[in-house]
Amino acid sequence: MDPIALRLTNCFKTVFPGMPEADIPEARQPSVAAWDSVNAIMLVNVIEEEFGIEMDFDRLAELDSFRRIHDYLSQEMRLS
Amino acid sequence: MKVAEALKILQAAPRNAPEFRIGLACGYTPLHVETFLGAHLQQRLGERRVTIATGLYGDLAGTLEAWKEANLDGIAASLEWADLDPRLGFRGAGAWGPAATADVLDGSAAMLERIARAVEAVRPEIPIAICLPTLPLPPLFHTAGWQAAEARLELDRALADFAARLARRGNGALVEPARLAQESAPAGRYDFKADLLTGLPYATAHAAAVASALARLLTPPAPKKALITDLDDTLWRGIAGEIGPENVAWDLASHAQTHGLYQKLLASLAEEGALIGAATKNDPETVRKVFAREDLLLRPDRVFPIDAHWGAKSASVERILRTWNISADSAVFVDDSPIELAEVAAAHPGIECLLFPSADYAAAYDLLRRLRDLFGKPHLSPEDALRAPSIRQGAQFQQEAGVSVSEKFLAGVEAVVTFDFSLADDLRAFELVNKTNQFNLNGIRYTEADWKKRLLRPGAFLATVSYRDKFGPLGKIAVMEGRRENETLFLDTWVMSCRAFSRRIEHQCLHAAFARSGAREVFLHFQPTAKNGPLRNFLSSIAGEKPAGPFALSRGRFEEKRPKLYHRVTEASTSSSPWIPSHSV
Repeated sequence: MDPIALRLTNCFKTVFPGMPEADIPEARQPSVAAWDSVNAIMLVNVIEEEFGIEMDFDRLAELDSFRRIHDYLSQEMRLS
Repeated sequence: MKVAEALKILQAAPRNAPEFRIGLACGYTPLHVETFLGAHLQQRLGERRVTIATGLYGDLAGTLEAWKEANLDGIAASLEWADLDPRLGFRGAGAWGPAATADVLDGSAAMLERIARAVEAVRPEIPIAICLPTLPLPPLFHTAGWQAAEARLELDRALADFAARLARRGNGALVEPARLAQESAPAGRYDFKADLLTGLPYATAHAAAVASALARLLTPPAPKKALITDLDDTLWRGIAGEIGPENVAWDLASHAQTHGLYQKLLASLAEEGALIGAATKNDPETVRKVFAREDLLLRPDRVFPIDAHWGAKSASVERILRTWNISADSAVFVDDSPIELAEVAAAHPGIECLLFPSADYAAAYDLLRRLRDLFGKPHLSPEDALRAPSIRQGAQFQQEAGVSVSEKFLAGVEAVVTFDFSLADDLRAFELVNKTNQFNLNGIRYTEADWKKRLLRPGAFLATVSYRDKFGPLGKIAVMEGRRENETLFLDTWVMSCRAFSRRIEHQCLHAAFARSGAREVFLHFQPTAKNGPLRNFLSSIAGEKPAGPFALSRGRFEEKRPKLYHRVTEASTSSSPWIPSHSV
């Protein structure tokens, strides 16, 4: 697992403590009951803290899976 | 605290622990404040499971009104301007401008009245922590941003009146805005984008600061009881033995004002009930001469004892703590010498040691603030003013009584024990339960809400005990709490101030409990703790063996074992007692 995926997995574990770790890389908002609008904001905050970045609230709707967030973070880290 | 840390604290809460239910009333989306508030409270109440109920978005007043009979252990109310009138926020569509100003002010005043009434209608046993608006107002008034608008000042005045009204309420406490500003700078508080997109107006760090402030009010730390101060270059500037008692200083003209401020703060703490003692490497006569100076800001009768000698400071601290009969962790030691602080800290690990920074003004300012925090109390009671005199009284009592108190001595002290069996809301009783260690039945601490709920139980029993003798009053010194069921009085709480030892008040307490309840036995919910040895010794003297846990004591057994009691016993508030006395005390 690459370092970003590892740190992102920890973020998911913090916000969704009931989610089996093996399921996290495939997690998608529609298939995770606990991934509601409140926890989506919570997840953004935890990711911001973990990666020291500010995420764009406007893109919240499209960041709806582990993979998409991973790609977004990879891009942000490359840019920085 | 970060969001991830807060979530982990909440997830680690003990699943089966008794719940601690908090209501969070706010008009904005509570998300982060809710998470941080829960985490801060969970940290403070490790053996409870904190749960937080929230109300409807945009309806703070309605939420509070709905909670007037709610089964909650506390309420945190976080107000923002938009709660007073939506036009005072950024999410409303209402008009700004001169034409709207009068209506905004009228509407805000009416809403503040509604919120105040809602708070006042909440059951008195539920503590309420309130944070006044923390965010900037929108640009709705006619002045430039650097000029305070008259309408804004009117709003501030209405808010100040509202706050003062709620602060007067016994169970209400308000966040200090200036302290919050130090912990969360005003310029960084508002998240405009998050407010508009999600209804979360607070930047995450500000949400954490507001939640922390509210949690501190709902579960305030126990204040320290006593302070031991060094004298030379601490209570005053200069070494009295070298420059002479008449030349030490604490005034502005001598550039020694920090010492004067320290004296004023100690005088204030003493007036509030803190014990002030002095430990100094000095000639006692020199010290006496300084304390005889009329310009001293800390009156000499406020300082007791003063331990002046050339030995180790830790030995002075030991003697002073013994005189006060309190543990080191209830005390603070202040000295200008890091070596003395280290020596005392090594000998008394629990004591809080603070450096008096003679030459560092910023550090001296921090020290004054730190001391205020350590000794701060939500409310003062008349008992607080009695504490220091009663310590002196106790020392005199012990001095005259000798090592073992004789029957003749006890018979001659003209002791009066007064019992109050009413279930009145008595702050002193609650405080005594939560800060007494040595004579404490089981060491259980209660939140204010828990304590008040206990007194509402069927058959609830509460005895608050006061004492005085020819040396003076000790004030309220003991509390017994429990419930009566059939022939048994279940005693769940029993504490007595260590100032009241050696007077057989504990025997009189049990005697009164039997007499007043008419019970055949008292079931004592005793649990040994690291500190309640004195109570355990007392119980073993009447039970015949050292108890290891809860036990029943028959009236016959107690009467057989109790020594002769010389107190005159009186009773207060019989008319308000829910009990029909079966026997007079």
